[in-house]
Amino acid sequence: MELFNENSKLASVIHKDHSLLPVINRLGIKLGFGDKTIRNICEENKIDLNFFVETINVFHYEAYFPEKRLLDFPISMVIDYLIKTHQYYKDYLIPENDRLIELFLSASPDENTENELVRKFYARFKEEFVIHINFEEREMFPFILELNEVIENRAIRDQFTKKYPSFSIESFEKEHSNMDDKMDDLKNIIIKYLPPNYDQNRGNAFLTNLFLFEKDLKNHSRIEDHILMPKVKQLEKLLESYE
Amino acid sequence: MNSNQNISVVVICQSDMVLSGLFEILKSSLASEVILLHRGDELIDYAAMSGPVLILATSEEQEKSSSFIRQILTSVQNIHFITLHLNFDSVYSNQTINLFDAPTLICYKVNEILNSFLSDQNKDTDTELTRREIEVLQLLTKGYSNKEIADQLFVSTHTVISHRKNISEKTGIKSASGLTMYAILKKIIDVSDINPDELI
Repeated sequence: MELFNENSKLASVIHKDHSLLPVINRLGIKLGFGDKTIRNICEENKIDLNFFVETINVFHYEAYFPEKRLLDFPISMVIDYLIKTHQYYKDYLIPENDRLIELFLSASPDENTENELVRKFYARFKEEFVIHINFEEREMFPFILELNEVIENRAIRDQFTKKYPSFSIESFEKEHSNMDDKMDDLKNIIIKYLPPNYDQNRGNAFLTNLFLFEKDLKNHSRIEDHILMPKVKQLEKLLESYE
Repeated sequence: MNSNQNISVVVICQSDMVLSGLFEILKSSLASEVILLHRGDELIDYAAMSGPVLILATSEEQEKSSSFIRQILTSVQNIHFITLHLNFDSVYSNQTINLFDAPTLICYKVNEILNSFLSDQNKDTDTELTRREIEVLQLLTKGYSNKEIADQLFVSTHTVISHRKNISEKTGIKSASGLTMYAILKKIIDVSDINPDELI
C-alpha cells in the first residue's frame, strides 16, 4: 500500500483513492487543481502541509497511524476538521441516505410491515447520531477549545475553572461503539434477513452509501479517539500542574 | 463476517515493514481481524480474547514470549503458531512463512490453519439459535433487562449475558433494537407483541 507525501500530485492521489474526495474538500480544497503537487496546493491555500498529508494517509490506509506526529498539530486545526466532517454528514451523507432509503423502501410492490420497521430503525439511528454530533459541537468542542486557550493564557484560568468546576474530558468520552453497532445491524438486517422483495439496484445503492458512511465514520472516530482525546488529556495534565 | 468471527490472527514482529506487508496480504483474504503487535507482551491488551488464536511470529519471538502469551490468554484453548522465517533461505513447511513467499501462498497457508480451527469447532458455529437463546431473545424484545430475564428463566444474569453474546455472534446483530427487528423478520415474535415505537 502506497502512502502519499507532499510531492504527490493531488490528481493522481484522487485517481488512486477516490474515497478521499470529501476528505480534501474538508481540508479546504476544491477540484480543478491541474497537475499541482500537494505542497503547491497547500501553500496556495495556506493549509498546514503536514496536517494535510497525515490526514489523507490516515484515511487512505487503515493500518497507518502516526499518532505521535499528529499530536503536534494545533488542537483547533483538528477540531476544525472534525466539525467540517460533521457538516459533511449533516449536509450531504445523511440527506443522501434519507433519499436512498426512501427510494429503496417505497419501490416495494406493497407497503409492508418489514419495510416500515427498517424505516423506523433507520430513523432512530439517525436521530441518535445527530444528537451525538450536536453534543460534540455544542459541549465538547467548545470545552476543548477553551481548555486550550487557558493553557496559552493563564490569566483566564479562574474564569475557566469556575465555568467547568471539576470537569474532565472523561465525562465527555462517549462511546462511538454504540453508533457503529447500529450501523452494522442495519447493514446485516438488509444483507442477511430482510425478504428481498424490493428493487435490488435501489437496495444496493442504499447499502453502498451506508458503507461509505461507515468508512468515513470509522476514520472520524479514529481521529477523535487517537488524536483529539490524548491531546486533551495532555492539556488537562498541564492545567493541573499549574495549580 | 461471522463465520470466523471468533478466530483472531495476530502478527508479532518488530519490523513495521513486515507487519504492514503481512497486513496487506492477509486482510482481504481473511474473515478474521488481523492484530499487529511489535512485542508479544502487548497481547495483554487483548486478554479478553476467547476464540482460537493464530499467531504469526519469528521463532525467536516465540521462544521469548510463547509461555507468557499462554499465561495472558487464559480463556483461549487453541493457540496455534506459524513461524515467520525472515532469512534468505526458505524452509518448506506449511507452518512457516518465508520472506520470499508469494502472497497467494501466504494466504493459503494461513487459511489452511484457520480452516482446521473451524472443523475443530463443534456445532456451536451453527447460526441456528438454540431453544434457550430464542427464549432469551423473546424476552429481550419485550424490553426486559438481563436481570429480569434471568429471574424469569431461573438462571444467573451471567448466563443471560452469555446467551446474548452468542445470539449476537450467530446473527451478526448487536443492538437490542436490531435484535427485535431480527426476531420479527424471523417470525420469532409477532410485531403485535411489541411496541415498535419503544423497541425499535
